[in-house]
Parts: sequence; C-alpha cells; structure tokens
Amino acid sequence: MNIVVLAKLIPDLVEELEIDDSGTALDMTWLRLIINELDDHAIEEAILLKERTGANVTVLAPDIEGVDDILFTAAAKGAERLIKIVGDYESGVNNHALARVLTPVMKDLQPDLILVGVEAHEDLDGSIGPLLAGYLDLPFIGYVASIELEDGKATATKEYPGGLSVEMEVTLPVVLGIQVAEEPPRYVAVSKVRQAMKTAEIEELEAGDFDLAGGPTIDRMYQPEVSEGATIIDGSLDDIADSLIGIFKELGVQ
Amino acid sequence: MPIRETFWNIPHWAEIAQYLLGLLAILIFSYGVIRRVRRWLKGQPERRIDHIRSRLWSVVVQAVGQARTLHDIYPGIMHLTIFWGMIALFIGTILATVDWDVTHLFFNVQFLTSWVYVLYELILDIFGVFLLIGLGMAIYRRYIVRPDRLANMPGNGFIWDDAYVLIMLVLIGITGYLVEGLRIAVAQPDWAPWSPVGNAIGNAFIAFGDPSNRFLHYALWIIHILIAFVALASIPYTKFWHLIAGPVNIFFRSLEPAGRMSAPVSEDEPGVKEWRDFTWKQLLDFESCTRCGRCQDVCPAHASGFSLSPRDIMIKLDTYMWQPANGHNMLGDVISADELWACTSCLACLNICPVFNDQFSAIIDMRRYLVLEGDVDPQLQDALANLGRYGNSFGKSDRMRAKWTKSIQPKIKDVRRDEVEYLWFVGDYASYHASMTDKTLMMAKVFQSAGLDFGILYDGERNSGNDVRRVGEEGLFDMLAEKNLVTFSKSTFKTIVTSDPHSFNTLKNEYSENGNDHYSVLHYSQLLDQMITSGQLKVSRKLGYKVTYHDPCYLGRYNGEYDAPRRVMSALGCELVEMPRNKENTFCCGAGGGRIWMEDPPEVTERPAENRVKEAASLPGVSTLVVACPKDLVMFQDAVKTADLEGKLFVKDLIDLIGEATEMNLAEPKEQN
Repeated sequence: MNIVVLAKLIPDLVEELEIDDSGTALDMTWLRLIINELDDHAIEEAILLKERTGANVTVLAPDIEGVDDILFTAAAKGAERLIKIVGDYESGVNNHALARVLTPVMKDLQPDLILVGVEAHEDLDGSIGPLLAGYLDLPFIGYVASIELEDGKATATKEYPGGLSVEMEVTLPVVLGIQVAEEPPRYVAVSKVRQAMKTAEIEELEAGDFDLAGGPTIDRMYQPEVSEGATIIDGSLDDIADSLIGIFKELGVQ
Repeated sequence: MPIRETFWNIPHWAEIAQYLLGLLAILIFSYGVIRRVRRWLKGQPERRIDHIRSRLWSVVVQAVGQARTLHDIYPGIMHLTIFWGMIALFIGTILATVDWDVTHLFFNVQFLTSWVYVLYELILDIFGVFLLIGLGMAIYRRYIVRPDRLANMPGNGFIWDDAYVLIMLVLIGITGYLVEGLRIAVAQPDWAPWSPVGNAIGNAFIAFGDPSNRFLHYALWIIHILIAFVALASIPYTKFWHLIAGPVNIFFRSLEPAGRMSAPVSEDEPGVKEWRDFTWKQLLDFESCTRCGRCQDVCPAHASGFSLSPRDIMIKLDTYMWQPANGHNMLGDVISADELWACTSCLACLNICPVFNDQFSAIIDMRRYLVLEGDVDPQLQDALANLGRYGNSFGKSDRMRAKWTKSIQPKIKDVRRDEVEYLWFVGDYASYHASMTDKTLMMAKVFQSAGLDFGILYDGERNSGNDVRRVGEEGLFDMLAEKNLVTFSKSTFKTIVTSDPHSFNTLKNEYSENGNDHYSVLHYSQLLDQMITSGQLKVSRKLGYKVTYHDPCYLGRYNGEYDAPRRVMSALGCELVEMPRNKENTFCCGAGGGRIWMEDPPEVTERPAENRVKEAASLPGVSTLVVACPKDLVMFQDAVKTADLEGKLFVKDLIDLIGEATEMNLAEPKEQN
C-alpha cells in the first residue's frame, strides 16, 4: 500500500497581507509561509493509516522556502519518502499548472491513495485535489474526515454541512481531499525533527515549465474595502420598531 | 567504685551466642545494602563527587544536625528526639561493647568506671527518655492527629512498614529500661540514682515483685537483644533504610544552582521511559523517601486538587523499581501523564525535602519522554508550535514584538545596532500581553527618565525558553537559546535586565552553560534597587501604602533574591505586611513549568492563584498585592476576579509603585533632557 500526500506552503495569516506593485498579487517580500493546515491533517491521516495498516507514506511538496522543514517534520512523524518538486514558482503558478506537473510524477509513484488537504486559502482556481484526480482519471472524494482501508477499497467518511456524514466505498486508487484527520496533528519534538534532518533524505524532481491554462487571470487584488458603516438604532423597544418599519417602507418593503 | 558490669547475670554461652547473632544480623544487613546499591547502579551515570568538603558539611548540618527536618516544628522535634535518642543509645552500646569485650578482654582495662560511668548512665537514661518522648509524639501524630500528608499512601504495605519502625523502637527503648531496672532491683548498686528511670523501675519491681528474680531479667535481656538485632538486620529491607539512604542522598545532592536544570542523559532521545533510564542518583532519591509528605503539603498542584503529589511520585517510582516486571508500564500505569503535567516547577517540594530529594528532576525527565511521544495537551501543543515558529507563545508575528514601543519618544535603542550598557530583555508577556502594556511602557519611561543607557532587541528577541525547558521540550529550548545567543553575540552590552523572573532564571543560570557569560543578568527589582540606592532614580513621593508582596518562584526559591524588591518597596515608603507563606515558603501562582499554556482539568477545586490572592486579602489593612513578575500579574488579576475580590484587593506591579512614587504619568510623556 502506497500513500502519497500532497502538501504545500501558503501565506501565514499571522502577518499582514500586502498587495504588490502590480496590484494583482500578494507582495511576497514580507510574507511568511506556513504549511496549509488541511495538508497537515492529510499528513496526519496518512501516518494514522500507516500505523494501522503498515502502508508506505510519501510526502510531496512544491519547493518553496521552508519546504525542507515541513518535509523533515513529516519524516519525524513517520513518512518514509520525501520529495520536493523544484521549479520556478516565483513567476507565478496555479493549481491547474501544479496538477499538470504532478500528473506524470503520480503515475511514476503509482500510489494506491493520494491524500491532499481539501482546500487552501490561496486556491484561486479551485482546489488541487479534483484537478489532479481529473488529469489522472481517478475518482475524488472531498471533505473527508476518516478513512478505512480494506482489500483494495477505501471507505471514506465525508462531512456535509449541517452535521451530516456519509460513508462512501471506493475502489483504489483514489484521490481524497482531507477536511480533518481522525486525530489532531501530533506534536513533533524538535529533537525528533533534528534527528530526521540527519537521517532522512529529500528527493528532488524537476517541474519543468508551468502551464497556467485553465486558471483565472487576475485583474485586481485588494484588501477588503470598508463599506458604509451600519446605523445603530437607539431608543425604547417601540421607538426602535417604529424606525425599523419606517426604514422598511422607505426601501419599498410592502 | 561505680563500674560497668556488662553481661551481669548473663551466662557466658549467651554472651557468645549474642555475638554470633550479631554477626548474622550484620550479614543480613550487608546483603540488603549490597542489593540496594546494585539497584542504584543500574541507573544512568551522573557525576556527583565534586566538592567533597561541602558535601560532608551538608551531611553534618542536615543529617546529624537535622536542620531542614526542624523547619517543621512538631515533626522536627519529634524526629530529632527519636534520632538523637537512638544515636546516643547506639553509641552507648558500642562503648559498653568496647569497654567489656575489647579493652577489658584484651588489656584488662575498663574505662566505664567511677564518674565516667555514672555520667554515662545518666546521659543514656536521659536520651532514652528523649527517644520515648519522640516516639510518643510520633504515635500521637500518626495515629491520632493523622495529618493528610501521612494518609492515602499509594500502596498497602506502607502502614505496616511505618508501624514496624515505631513498634521496634518502642520495644527497644522499653525492654532496655526494664532490663536495667531489674538489674538495679537485684544488684542495688550505690550509684543507682544516677540512672533515674532504671532506678524508678527497679524500685517498682522491689515494691511489687520478687527483687531476686534473676530469670525475668535474663529473659528480658534476651528479648531486648533479639529485637535490637532484628531491627539492625531489617534496616535495608524496611523504612529503617532511610537511616542510611538519607545521609547518603544528602551527600550526593546537587550543588548546582537551583535554576540550572540537568540536560537529558541522551540528546537524541531525551527523557525517561523506564526506571533504568533515570540516573543512579534519581533512583537513590526514590529510595531515600521516608514518605513524610512535606512535599505534598507545600505542593500548589496538590493543594488545588490536581492528581499530583510529589510524595506519591517518589513512593510509586521506588515501588516500581523493585517490581517492574509485573506487566505495568511506568508511564501510564504507574505515573499518569496528568500527574506529570500538573507540576508548576515551583521547587517547593525539593526545597523542603529533609533528605534533599529532587522530585522535580524526575518529573521533568518523564515529561521529556511524553513530549518526545507527542503526548501533550492541545493548548500546550499550540504554544510549543508557536514558540518554534514565531519565538513567542502567543502565536503573534515576531515583527509585532516591539509594537508597544511605537508611541515612545525618543525611540528606544536597538541593541543589535547601538552599543548600550543594559540590554532590556522584555520577554513574551511584557511584549505581547494586553494587561502588561502599561507596565512595559512605564518601565521604558522610568529607564528613560533616569537616563539609563539601555536598549532592546526589537524583533530579534525570542522567548528565553525557561518554561519550554521545564515543559520537557529540550530541543526547542536549545533552538530558542541558540537564536538568542547568536543575537547577543552580535550585540554590545554589559548587563541584561528583565522583568520576567523566568527569563531571568534561564538567562542567568542556563545560557551561561553554553559558554556565553561575559555579561551579568539582573532582575528589574535588582536594577531598580541599585538605581534608587545610587540616587539615579529619585523618589519624589512617599507612598505610605500598606502592601503585601508575592515572591515569584523563579526570583525567590530559584535564585534566592528576596531582599531587592523589599528594599525597593521600603524606599518608596510602603509598609510591607508579609503573607504567612513568604520568601522560600512562597506559594506558586500556578503559571510555571508551562502550566500557563495548559488547560486546568475539571478536578481542580481552587487554582493556586486563587488560593494565593485569598491569602493576601486576609491580611488586615492590606488591599494591595505587589508582584514582580508579568505572569504573576496576569494570573493574580484573573484570580482576583474569580475569587470575588474585585475592589478589595488590587494587584500592582513593582513598576506601578515606582511610577506613582516618581509621579510619572503615561498619558503625558515627559520630555527627556
């Protein structure tokens, strides 16, 4: 059983986001990157499956600053194989391009299960899971909260809004978009990560040219703009009700 | 002439049989000792044989002199009388043996004669009374008063072991007196009044029985001898073992500063999973524990209803190291993670332990293993992840660390660029916590007005790692310390000053281990004290407040600084009313050891901080609790609300008092000249 987890680094929202001079992208100079939280859950789910079934776990990530840390941390948790996809990310990349680059890589790795965080806050052209599943011609289930593996099949529990859960059985291989791991991502002691840095090896694969086709063209990126303030209606309950009725009438409510 | 007639009324064969029995007792004793020592040696290596003189001196003061045992008056006197009673009687027995079977036998000389003998009899009789008084006090305390700290032992055999020790000592004392009394009743020597107790018993025998009954004396003598030898042989197998282990443990105690924690034995796999992963000295700790429960009495976690009792940690580990193979895991089955996480690292336990056990080091080593296994509370996990990522536990950007300085004019120097005398290590709480902003601004203002040459590291500062280390995350501590040390090495300053006792502790005691000690470290209370004494900081108004003061664990117990903050308060014209638990007996606010990052479990009845503010509020005429630690401020301000003391007790930082006494106001910044 081979599990491949796709993880990526995204802007850390602890820092103020700023738009660069072009007005169509984030200014990366002051940005700090952090692993997409849901990808972290995907790694945790893979490790939990490994502990239950003895599967092999490979973690794959685009080579962006800080990628070594997240890969070594995954190794400290128990991932066997670490791969980073080297390429020119600075000139811009989107999930369509990334999915196209990853398609041949995935074919080589021949995973039984591909896990990826179901979304990331910087997904401007849709999340990468379904795109990748499309290019690989594999089934995709998103918003998965737990997985059971048995005899070439996976039973995924998908969460729906309103507290509804559905169990789906699917034949492997499959791409699953993880909403939450069965247990919160574990803490990895710094000494363990340092150990992994000494023993684990990160393989590098070339991305080649990115083909952005299918993604959106950004006209303008901007901070949320402050709209007109709300009006607070003061007074007694009756007064408030009267003025509300007045406002509704004014707006044409019959 | 008075003379010691050893073995009066005892046939020669019995005398010889006694020596054979004694030899047997010594053999059994020796086997037991060897068995114990071999078990300690299964632990990991640890060097504890430096400074032989101080070690011997501490055995004299603490074992012979019982200094720490006496801190607690009733049990202290109780133990002292039993201990010295037994020691005197033991020395008396040795002297009698030497007198009769060495000097008399081989050289036909006896030294227990005339006035020496009379004095000998008198002294032993008096010490015998001490012994019985002490034992009486012990029996009354253990079986009638029944303090909590002697109850609810984790195991069933201990009540018998405790009783055994008392019964044996009582029997030895009473049979000894009876034998003496019967001898006096029959022989009726002229000097009998010099043995007042023996003489009284002898007179009673004469009054009520047959004074010539030599058989009774003989029988009692045999019983006395048998009990004494059984007691001797049983030392390494019973609670009597503390007679040996206690002094040995005191000899090998740590002589390092209290604030310097030992690094893990193995750097790659820090922590203790099995009893053999402890060092030999830690195993000796477990063996030395007498179950006196003093540590449990002072433990803030225990007082608050957490499952932790440092006493039980020691007892359970001792039990476990002798029977580990019964399918129980040390971590989980014997010691629970909850117990370990409850510790606030306040050091009250090891500070009070009469045999100088280090309960905290055992707890930390087990915590280190839990951290390695990722077995940490979710909130703690977040804090650690934040500390690793942003260098602070708040999860805020490190670039926001100096945001509080924005309004300050002139701008505070950046130590990374400008040379200064004082590097102000601001710390996480003073930098990021909303309740602290005013205090931090006031401190900057006080420093600036006094013309202090100081600066800060701005976003170059990282959490000092003091509490990270005490959580058991040694690797993260190393990482934080390395980052700070690199920044320090690129900066020029003479002294570090910080308002955070936790940072103060590790910067002072643990950073210097890494080979960087060309600067000194001051707590702000110490610097303020110096500034007031030297006249650099002028007090313009005597406050006249009646206040009480909470000694922070990391300033007081960890670093012995009790006076500087008190001198400052006195210089500001405050009248200090001490809380019952002050200075080395201070009661932790509950924030240390990473507890501030963890959720309290539901069984917690009264948090340590609530307990403490109630203590402060109970002082007549006192409505101000002064603190000298940002965590204390946050903890106590919160506790004042939950303990319903709002409006009755006000928590003030030392710097607040300085601000009031120097009439500085944050709202209208004073021009600096």
